[in-house]
Amino acid sequence: MKQSIIINGKTHAIDVDGDMPLLWFLRDQLAFTGTKFGCGSGLCGACTVHVDGMATRSCITPVASLAGKSITTIEGLSEQGDHPLQKAWLNNKVPQCGYCQAGQIMNAASFLATNAAPTEEEIDIAMQGNICRCGTYQRIKKAINEAAEELSKEA
Amino acid sequence: MSITNVSRRDFLKTAGIATGGLVVGVALPGSALAEKGIIKESAFNPNAFIHVQENGDTLIYCGRCEMGQGISTALPAAVADEMEADWARVRVKQADGDEEKYGPQATGGSASIRRMYQPMREAGAAAKLMLIAAAAKVWKTSPDNCYAKAHFVINKTNKQQLGFGELASIAANIPVPEKPKLKEKSEFNYIGKALPRHDQDEVVIGKRTYGVDTKLPGMKYAAIVHCPVLGSKLKSLDKSEALKIKGVTDVVEIPRFEVPFGSVGGVAVVANNSWVAQQGIKKLKLEWEEGPNKVYNTKAYKQQLVKNVEKAAEKVAERGDLDNALKQAEQRFSATYTGGHLCHAPMEPNASVVWVQKDSCEVWASTQSPKDIQEVLAQYLKRKPEDIIVHVAMAGGAFGRKFKCDYVHEAAVISEKVGAPIQLIWTREEDMRTGYYHSVSAQHIEASMDKQGNVTGWLHRAAFPSISSLFNPSLDRAPAGSLDEITYHPFGVENFRAETGEAKAHTRIGWYRAVYAIFYGFAFGTFADELAHKAGIDPLTFINRIFDNNKDEKQQETIARSKAVLALAAEKSGWHKRDNLPKGQGIGLAVHYSFRSYVAMAVHVEVDGDDIKVLNVDCAIDCGQVLNTDGATAQMEGAVVMGMSLALSTEISFRDGAVVNSNFHDYPVMRINDMPNVRVHIAESDESPTGLGEPGVAPFAPALSNAIFAASGKRYRDLPIKPLSV
Repeated sequence: MKQSIIINGKTHAIDVDGDMPLLWFLRDQLAFTGTKFGCGSGLCGACTVHVDGMATRSCITPVASLAGKSITTIEGLSEQGDHPLQKAWLNNKVPQCGYCQAGQIMNAASFLATNAAPTEEEIDIAMQGNICRCGTYQRIKKAINEAAEELSKEA
Repeated sequence: MSITNVSRRDFLKTAGIATGGLVVGVALPGSALAEKGIIKESAFNPNAFIHVQENGDTLIYCGRCEMGQGISTALPAAVADEMEADWARVRVKQADGDEEKYGPQATGGSASIRRMYQPMREAGAAAKLMLIAAAAKVWKTSPDNCYAKAHFVINKTNKQQLGFGELASIAANIPVPEKPKLKEKSEFNYIGKALPRHDQDEVVIGKRTYGVDTKLPGMKYAAIVHCPVLGSKLKSLDKSEALKIKGVTDVVEIPRFEVPFGSVGGVAVVANNSWVAQQGIKKLKLEWEEGPNKVYNTKAYKQQLVKNVEKAAEKVAERGDLDNALKQAEQRFSATYTGGHLCHAPMEPNASVVWVQKDSCEVWASTQSPKDIQEVLAQYLKRKPEDIIVHVAMAGGAFGRKFKCDYVHEAAVISEKVGAPIQLIWTREEDMRTGYYHSVSAQHIEASMDKQGNVTGWLHRAAFPSISSLFNPSLDRAPAGSLDEITYHPFGVENFRAETGEAKAHTRIGWYRAVYAIFYGFAFGTFADELAHKAGIDPLTFINRIFDNNKDEKQQETIARSKAVLALAAEKSGWHKRDNLPKGQGIGLAVHYSFRSYVAMAVHVEVDGDDIKVLNVDCAIDCGQVLNTDGATAQMEGAVVMGMSLALSTEISFRDGAVVNSNFHDYPVMRINDMPNVRVHIAESDESPTGLGEPGVAPFAPALSNAIFAASGKRYRDLPIKPLSV
């Protein structure tokens, strides 16, 4: 039997060379283009998805290594696009070109899930791997703080 | 400029614009095409369309390209404002490449708002009057008895209202009013307010698509490796191992296409997905013939540029008697500044889809200049530019790189060879190694001052391979026009000379956000601070004094607005109380006028040995009437980040003609942990609006250098300040 992988709750057969990074499996095989290619080496974070809830760089993660695992992409982060981070991103008008933002949001979501009340320094450390060339970092920080507050109210 | 009711025109269909409802087109006066005699001035050539659909949804087609600078929000919001439309009902569509219809689409130089603000507003105002006239017709009353508000026309007498959608088709039969009256500033709903990007809701759910996201039926995927040294040719190619990979279908040689925006030459692998194509590239066995640019080593080259500016060079401009001023000087001071090559590195690497067929050629690309794609592909395919259809995609950053369409040309070559639509995505490595780089540069300034510290003479030599070399490779130095920012700098110095030093290009040089203002801003801004310290005068007082010494009538406005933003940045930063800062902290100031906007920065740093921490940046801007205050603020925040990257750490180095850097580990762009607190202060202004994409970058590096000096007494004259040795 072919190995399979769960993406945003739906099972997909891994019908490609198992060395293919998840990024290209998502983009080219399944047309989930919300996950972006930025560097191909895990240096920029644009391709960040969740593997069983943990932020993972999909550009350097072979799809076969994820057999049986559950993947969440930006398209599956929330049903209505209303994750507290997505709302905070809109409220703080974070995106400029927007290309890196899916990776930023996915990385931040995984981080907040493990640290609901982060300090500024912890945000810096957690988000250091995600590059934004438009320079939206100040707003990203504000949005993460705002979402953290929102999440703490929900909890 | 003319505004025309085009609701019934057939060409809307060919322009890909749905009909039904009211469509108003805007044409700019004296378009470049008309001036060149390509089109008749009398012909109707709208630069933008407003389409009020029968359901009330309003589409605004914008011909300028969007890459994150926010033009597709700011301009349509100005239209909506004049129309009294509800911004929530307005959708913005990116127009295809067609300069005959949309006027100049090449997007750069912070020109979109400057050129389009007035005509877009007038179109909005005209559409509003037509909708009002339509309602008056329905109600059999006079238009004066009606007004528009929030997507409705309201009858003043009986308070009845009709929606824009209901009125659209009736309005389509109403003649366009001449010279519609525009709103007063006090009446603005959206102009000058903080608006979100029109598409940010799509961004946060991953639905916003970019050039790289194009998918076509039957599309094949390609990857490419380029010749490492500009001008070197392929000596041998063994593709057998690549072709053995399952999924690889073709290996295509791409010869250099010697036009400025054509491919440098390379080899592409075609496959059934991008990753397999990239694997194929790794299996190619390639040998490149050495070309004349093999000699290029940036370390040595920069040293040579320094020598070339520290001796007499070629004069390009002169005022007064500089030699005498230097001879008579009470004090003389000189310094040399350098900067490295930069590559744009937008987060979305170069990508496009091209489908070349026998009788058609269609392109989907992130681009800043669809017209250049049409021209380059037409030249390559020996077809007419108008036969190349270009769908302009949102660019995931561009910063000047996507003005040049070598990557699109390559996709066309591959598509023509393999007979399928081709998506070519460059890897990050290829993006860094096959750029159109910001110039490496050296500048030497020598100034004379009198007893009171007035600058009496200014000699300014610059040497850098210029963008002009892209169009004329035989140039051995930057032409006079490339030194205009020196020649016409608003500092007032009676005795002045500008000279250009030898600097032959060994790679492709291109526009990079802020362009030459990056190094001119750095040299002027840092040298002024150095002179102030030399003269023992407070830097702010000193800079104001050099401005005040400019008696040229034509430059008085530039001087007044430059001084005003400088004063604003200084005040907001706590400059006047800087003596109270803790030891190891300092504030530096710089102001630079470029692309018709005024930007000053006050950078507050903490320095501990080699450790430089930027704490706060106060940016003061005067770009006339601001359209979207949030967009303007975002542009400045971004300019600080880009300025910080290039001031502190990023540099492209060449060894034996080839780029040494390859990815973000050795081209360390700024990351979130270095983000200072950026505060943007917008000068209140009723002047015509000017752009902000470019001008924010220039003042950061000099303000930083001046701040570090204030904090530590150490002066940095070479950018980047902390280069990574690669």
